[in-house]
Amino acid sequence: MLTVVFDAGHLITVCKFESQGKLVVDHPLSGCCIVITPGVEEEVAVLGAGYPDGVVAGERIAQGVIQVMPAPARRWARHLADYALGDGEKDSIELCGQAEEVEALVTDDYLAFVTATRLGLKAWMLPDLVLELTERGSLTIEVAEAILEVIRPRYRVGVIEHSLVRLQEVKKDAESCGADRGEEFASGGASQRYRGG
Amino acid sequence: MRAAERRNATGVGEDIAQFLAELINLGFEYRLQRLYRRFETGGISLGYFANELGLGVRDLYAALEHGGLPTSNVGADPSVGRCSSAHQDTRLQIRD
Repeated sequence: MLTVVFDAGHLITVCKFESQGKLVVDHPLSGCCIVITPGVEEEVAVLGAGYPDGVVAGERIAQGVIQVMPAPARRWARHLADYALGDGEKDSIELCGQAEEVEALVTDDYLAFVTATRLGLKAWMLPDLVLELTERGSLTIEVAEAILEVIRPRYRVGVIEHSLVRLQEVKKDAESCGADRGEEFASGGASQRYRGG
Repeated sequence: MRAAERRNATGVGEDIAQFLAELINLGFEYRLQRLYRRFETGGISLGYFANELGLGVRDLYAALEHGGLPTSNVGADPSVGRCSSAHQDTRLQIRD
């Protein structure tokens, strides 16, 4: 199963926005394991407990659907010291670099994204995770598109547009794979794994 | 007479309190907007931004959302796209 580390910003987004009658957090969770640091739990589910999405996050944590895991050590404390990052973001980067089987850090923050990339980590934005789960067959094209549209207000220009173009590529690839195999492509999903650009 | 003086005094006190509250709000909003400039150019993260304001990330998220501003700073400059009017016209506010 795909395991990813979430930071606070988009954990709020996935616990807040609904798509097709379901919270976004409940769509991707079927296809991946979300791990957060205790600091992110504090920011979203404890200090944010006055907001409905904070309650949702707390419930998913209590259910074990979102796992809370501290970074074993501060291996990159000196590397990160002079970046204007919050503690939650620094801890998330450390955890992503040290936890086994973690595929990527999911962050919508430019500085966290660049810093993680410079440390050799794989960094995704939330729309990238949606695409990845679609490529893996965990999300249908329709659900992915609906999620991207519903989270659009939280992003600056270009991000969702980029992802929608990529989603069409995923769809075309899945269709062509289906045609090559003589299989009928069901418009409900990209069941074949896609590894295109 | 003394009661009237007290009422007047109370009224003046309320005016001053209101004035000070507005001054504090203006100062906070000014600081929030200055930090947002740094955030939107990628100089600081959302968590750092919240910490500098003495807010939790969730409260800052709410303030940005209330102002119609994205909480992600990746992507095109707001002056290019749909965020420009919201950015210039909307007063950022924190939930009470």
